[in-house]
Amino acid sequence: MITFRDPSTRKMLLLLTALVLIVLLCAIGGIAQMLIIALLLAYILDPLVIRMEARGISRTAAATIILLTMTALIVIGIITVVPALKAQMVGMSSGESSAKTDLALANLQEVVRTKMGWLGFGDIDLKVKLAEFKASFGKRIVDFIVSDFVGIVLALVTIPFLMFFLIKDALTLKKGLIRIVPNRYFEFSLDLIHKMDQQLGNYLRGQFIDAVSIGTLATIGLGALGVPYFFLLGPFSGLANLIPYVGPFAGGIPSMIIAVMENGDLSAGGNVALLFLGLKLADDLCIQPLSVSSSVHLHPALVLATCIIGGNLFGLIGMLLSVPVTGFIKVVITESVQTLKAYRFS
Amino acid sequence: MKGLFVKKKAAHPEQDDAELLKVLKALPVFENLDRRELAAVLRILHEREYQPDEVVFREEEPGMGMYIIQKGRVMIRSEKGNLLLAELGDGAFFGEISLLDASPRSATVIAKEKSRIFGFFQPDLYGLIERNPTAGVKIVLGLSRLVCERLRQTNKRAYDFNEALQQMRQAPKQEKPA
Repeated sequence: MITFRDPSTRKMLLLLTALVLIVLLCAIGGIAQMLIIALLLAYILDPLVIRMEARGISRTAAATIILLTMTALIVIGIITVVPALKAQMVGMSSGESSAKTDLALANLQEVVRTKMGWLGFGDIDLKVKLAEFKASFGKRIVDFIVSDFVGIVLALVTIPFLMFFLIKDALTLKKGLIRIVPNRYFEFSLDLIHKMDQQLGNYLRGQFIDAVSIGTLATIGLGALGVPYFFLLGPFSGLANLIPYVGPFAGGIPSMIIAVMENGDLSAGGNVALLFLGLKLADDLCIQPLSVSSSVHLHPALVLATCIIGGNLFGLIGMLLSVPVTGFIKVVITESVQTLKAYRFS
Repeated sequence: MKGLFVKKKAAHPEQDDAELLKVLKALPVFENLDRRELAAVLRILHEREYQPDEVVFREEEPGMGMYIIQKGRVMIRSEKGNLLLAELGDGAFFGEISLLDASPRSATVIAKEKSRIFGFFQPDLYGLIERNPTAGVKIVLGLSRLVCERLRQTNKRAYDFNEALQQMRQAPKQEKPA
């Protein structure tokens, strides 16, 4: 039986308490988000670093190459994508709509007035409502970017550097973590870390490849269909795809609404729906079987609950990170229980 | 509490490393590694310090890898028969088969005196094979040679036992006519 008088157990408990405190402290500040993103990136890029090491490049050099590549990509992104993104966001926040949209809205309004007047929607001005919605939605995005400009710049600088050190010192950090574990729990901890590493590595890398593939395909597809704001909607679809069950809808529905509103034609929405249906099929039949070799099964209710909690705590980023983080916690608990059964702690 | 977070610095780390490299080089598992490869192994070893009567691992627990005694003494016990199977001292190693198949431990190992032991584990070996395939292959070959040697010894012992058994079976037949 494990007793609290046992020095090893006390040391383990002390260590666990310290870890919980660190997690709580991190969770309070925005640094938690940056640390989680840097950790995820370091984790995802680890096989690349190992391949470089196998070719005789030192770990530090490999981490430096990745840091420089990431910095170059961020700079290229700022130079090329930001102006297009800015134009699309400004367009959205202005609340202006095309003539086709106005026509479609007028037709829709007529239907609402004649058929749904008895519900109290007779006097509703859909054009004004749409302009208000688009303006407030766009303004919220612009406000978020402007008000959190310092935070975004800080994140763009901090995350690659945190990732660099996490890659470079991965072995030292792992050894240092295991070093403070008492002798009795040493092999157990090592076993647990190894199993978690395998499960999580496959899961996170699979999710990353899946999100990037869907994001890229959605951006190309939406761009080809002439859907405005495709630079915003495409990557958002890729990120939303991280959330099981609701993700594909969360990515597809806004694109459909915008396509219908901008073209004033329901068929435009149909084309977008077909695109997302095709993406979903490609994801289920090709991308996921190839990329997601190990999936962490999460109950739909749990996914929904974690998305709400993540969204409330950290906003959109929290919502998107909630599923991988919940997957991580599930793997930790499942593997801890299974590994613990194999050891005879007394 | 202080010891939890502050890494204890060795009095002469370079001398310690040189001593440990000497110990590693003498082991059949690492005998074919060059100095650079040995240094790579050194980086993934886990240093542990055990007090007298402290358990290193228990029989039937999952085996994660091998241990190398740099300084100290351990007892290898079978819990089933409460038998002392062996005592190992400076420069000896144990649990090496777990590096290959992660099978449950066949005996319990307890420190007899204050011992400085280094652990070399399967996940780290796999990592080394990925990062430095040449060193990894040399280690696996070293392990294979060790296992072959043990198999040869076991075969010889089985042959000897079989011979003895045959002689025992034939003995009463020879005695009967008398």
